[in-house]
Amino acid sequence: MRKGLFYIPLVLFLGLSLFLLSGLFSDPRERDSAIIGKPLPAFSLPDLMNPQQQWTPESLKGETFLLNVWGIWCPTCNAELGYMSQLRNEQGVRIIGLYYVLPEDPMFGEVFDLATLQKDVQSRLQSFGDPYQFNILDRNRRLSMDLGVSGAPEHFIVDADGIVRAHHIGDINPQVWRSKLAPIYQQWAAKP
Amino acid sequence: MKPLIALLLLVSFSVLADGNKELLTFESEEQRRLYAQLTAELRCPQCQNQNIADSNAVVAVDMREKTHELVQQGYSRQQVLDYMIDRYGNFVHYQPPLNRITIWLWLLPALVLLALFLFQLKRRAGQTALRYRSDQSAEPAPSAAKAELEQQLDNIIDRYRSNKP
Amino acid sequence: MIPELGQLTLTFAFALSLLLGVVPLVGSFTANERALLVAKPLAVGNFVFTLLAFIALCWAFYHDDFTVVNVATNSSSILPWYYKLTATWGSHEGSMLMWVMILAAWTALVAQFSKGLPLLMQGRILGIMGLINVGFIAFSLFMSNPFERSLPFYPVEGNDLNPLLQDFGMIIHPPLLYMGYVGFAVSFAFAIAALIGGKFDSTWARWARPWTLAAWMFLTLGIMLGSWWAYKELGWGGWWFWDPVENASFMPWLVGTALIHSLAVTEKRGTFKSWTVLLALGAFSLSLLGAFLVRSGVLVSVHSFAADPERGVFLLIFLLIVIGGSLLLYASRMHSVRSQARYELFSREVMLWGNNVFLLTATLVVLLGTLFPLVHKELGLGSISIGEPFFNQMFYYLNIPFALLLGLGPWVRWKQQKAAPLLKPLSMVAVFSLILALGTLAATQSVTANLALLGLLLGAWVGLSALLEIYQRLQQFGSLSKGIAKLQASHYGMTLAHIGFAVLVVGVAMTLTYSEERDVRMEIGDRVVLAGYEFELQDVYKLNGPNYGGEAAELDVRTVDGRYVTHLHAEKREYKIQRMVMTEAAVHARLSRDLYVSLGEALPGNAWAIRVYVKPFVRWIWLGGLLMSLGALIALLDKRYRRPTTAVEVRHA
Repeated sequence: MRKGLFYIPLVLFLGLSLFLLSGLFSDPRERDSAIIGKPLPAFSLPDLMNPQQQWTPESLKGETFLLNVWGIWCPTCNAELGYMSQLRNEQGVRIIGLYYVLPEDPMFGEVFDLATLQKDVQSRLQSFGDPYQFNILDRNRRLSMDLGVSGAPEHFIVDADGIVRAHHIGDINPQVWRSKLAPIYQQWAAKP
Repeated sequence: MKPLIALLLLVSFSVLADGNKELLTFESEEQRRLYAQLTAELRCPQCQNQNIADSNAVVAVDMREKTHELVQQGYSRQQVLDYMIDRYGNFVHYQPPLNRITIWLWLLPALVLLALFLFQLKRRAGQTALRYRSDQSAEPAPSAAKAELEQQLDNIIDRYRSNKP
Repeated sequence: MIPELGQLTLTFAFALSLLLGVVPLVGSFTANERALLVAKPLAVGNFVFTLLAFIALCWAFYHDDFTVVNVATNSSSILPWYYKLTATWGSHEGSMLMWVMILAAWTALVAQFSKGLPLLMQGRILGIMGLINVGFIAFSLFMSNPFERSLPFYPVEGNDLNPLLQDFGMIIHPPLLYMGYVGFAVSFAFAIAALIGGKFDSTWARWARPWTLAAWMFLTLGIMLGSWWAYKELGWGGWWFWDPVENASFMPWLVGTALIHSLAVTEKRGTFKSWTVLLALGAFSLSLLGAFLVRSGVLVSVHSFAADPERGVFLLIFLLIVIGGSLLLYASRMHSVRSQARYELFSREVMLWGNNVFLLTATLVVLLGTLFPLVHKELGLGSISIGEPFFNQMFYYLNIPFALLLGLGPWVRWKQQKAAPLLKPLSMVAVFSLILALGTLAATQSVTANLALLGLLLGAWVGLSALLEIYQRLQQFGSLSKGIAKLQASHYGMTLAHIGFAVLVVGVAMTLTYSEERDVRMEIGDRVVLAGYEFELQDVYKLNGPNYGGEAAELDVRTVDGRYVTHLHAEKREYKIQRMVMTEAAVHARLSRDLYVSLGEALPGNAWAIRVYVKPFVRWIWLGGLLMSLGALIALLDKRYRRPTTAVEVRHA
């Protein structure tokens, strides 16, 4: 009994190092999402290219899609445009963009101008590839907050009934798509 | 020192002379305090490890604005926290939720504290058989000679110990 | 050329530390006196070569040698020369080399100041330190080589030092902090040597005590400076964030504090032996755990270095060997050691036991709070965050009994204490504490200040009690002047450190309760009043620093009744190379309060966002830390640690 007491520190330390070891091989910045399994939050936002068109959760229903939060100010987002275009063209993945507008800095005389933004987005998509069916403009980032978006790029898989099935923080590359997102996308896309 | 403290603290509750210069306005001091408390305990989901009050990340700024808006609408502390946790998960609050795993965060320190004290008591109980009895029934008044003697004794003991093989 | 020389000398140091880690230890088991005698020159040689390696890296930084990857990524030619030098320890690789250099310095110091130790003990201690040196030099050489070249293609300009690190704090904070972390390696080596030899008498404790005090003093200073640095550099007026990296330094500090007190029991009374040894192992183990947490990337922190799982694996294996090995040795050796000393429930032994219990529980709270999110996630239960609300709550409840005990402890004698003689002085202290605390608060006319009241009460209780205790102790020598000369230095040290703790508690409670802040929009000429001070924005103009641009604001501060207080100069810098915006807050510090202004972004209409703080008593937090480390320094100078021992001991084997 008394002898056993002296082994307690060793046992506790070994237990702790197991967690430290597993911690080494997982990303500490990865966090779980609160929206999975819930329907898309209510919104009514304009189309980026065609502002007369208003999008609502209802109007997106009917087919599983990948919702991509992005912006041309974000280098990682630009870098993944190519691979996502490939997904659209080769696998027929339906991708909808949620355009995340950065707040303007008045110090540099920045003002929001839709026409300039449309032009910039178009030229960016022409040079990097255009994976999007269309883009929703989230001018004040309220839908992004309701979705639990912390930055760009982020991705959601939304099923035909408008229920969020996956939330991926960070970029999509072949490895992430194959191991994490494709199974979920195919599972929900295959549902009648 | 003391009058200085008094002066300082006396005036420390006067509010801004010109309230409209503030970037954020509040209807009451309670709301101001609530906002300060909430922005200190909500975590910026994009940053390394910062609360939303201390971060200039876009999402932190948005969350600050939202917090301000909700506080002004009369949301309680818990309601604002629920609003944020609904969107960003428990990760966003610096106080962990209570569940059957996290309960150990509180239980374990309490148990260890208790166990260590009990350990000492038990150890002492084992000694009571050989109890050291002091024959000093009352502490004698400390005298100069005694203090000096004690110090000398200490020194002798120290010297003896350092010579002991 | 010089960087290659640096690498070469580091390799020599590696060889010397290998010899140091093997020869004397083997000699200690084969009773080979020559093998034991070789420990000292090896320790000194190891230090000289690591120091040369460190100087070589400093040289590369000073001369903008961008062929060295480390220099190119962490310095630039437009950096002022003093920041070029501090950039040496601004990166993972460089700071690791500094860690190695400081470890070698402690090893050499032990070699120099161990004349009083038996040769056998000396050889074992230095041998163990040599083994720790081997591990860290290997890590530096093979896993994070600071001298790596990028020849033949190298950049013509460096990537600059992280602007956060371009500050006076960077010059002294990391060296002091590392002196503390690594200093616990000495206590660790003493404990292991004692475990190997199976001898834990009071002489052992007296040898280990000054080294532990020295390490603790440096760690206290290091943590305090880090807090002060974050306060002035981050621009948010915060002084402690419960960030994993801060917690990593706080845990060894807590255990080190417990160790200092436990060593006192072992030295004076020859008891608590197994406990003291465990704490000595624990303090350094937690230093190592801290190094792992900061350098492996398992946790998300503002301060951590770039993550690299390979380094993490190396460090984890090193941790397993050092901590796991020492705890195994502990378990197998320690269970046969028994303490005979007897003491009553109301005795100094039990008081110090209480101190240890609370400090250890506090360590557990910090450890759980730091690592629980990791465990929670690895168990698949989702991500959670643990921060200020949790830690503040736990420390609030732990601190109350701890401070009460701390006010009582120094009065209690060894073995047994009667309650009656203490009633009078302690009730006096209690009454005066109450008067002092209520008097201060009455002036504030505040009703919702429970925390401040409690902080003042506990602070006054600890501080007044310590003062009265030393006063009475001094009087026991007949006259005060006689007492002042005769009282042991360690008693002065203890009193000072306890007063430091009291000052810290008051500072924390008052700052948390009465800090005021406002975010305001100001045009030039605008005035803003906060907590009785009127801030007037006089001018904002463009800045042109050596490696940054930006804006500076000039403010005048008056009291509300028009008395001029000070002029403040706040800056917002945009560092050119790293394109990072940094606030340089303006601080006007007084013992009773800080005025703190940071300049924010420009707003439409020729205005600026400005954050104004008034922080009462915030200086007391660092003053408390300073007093505590000063207390350790004075205790360290106690004559009894320098008394030479006789030849009888030297031959003991």
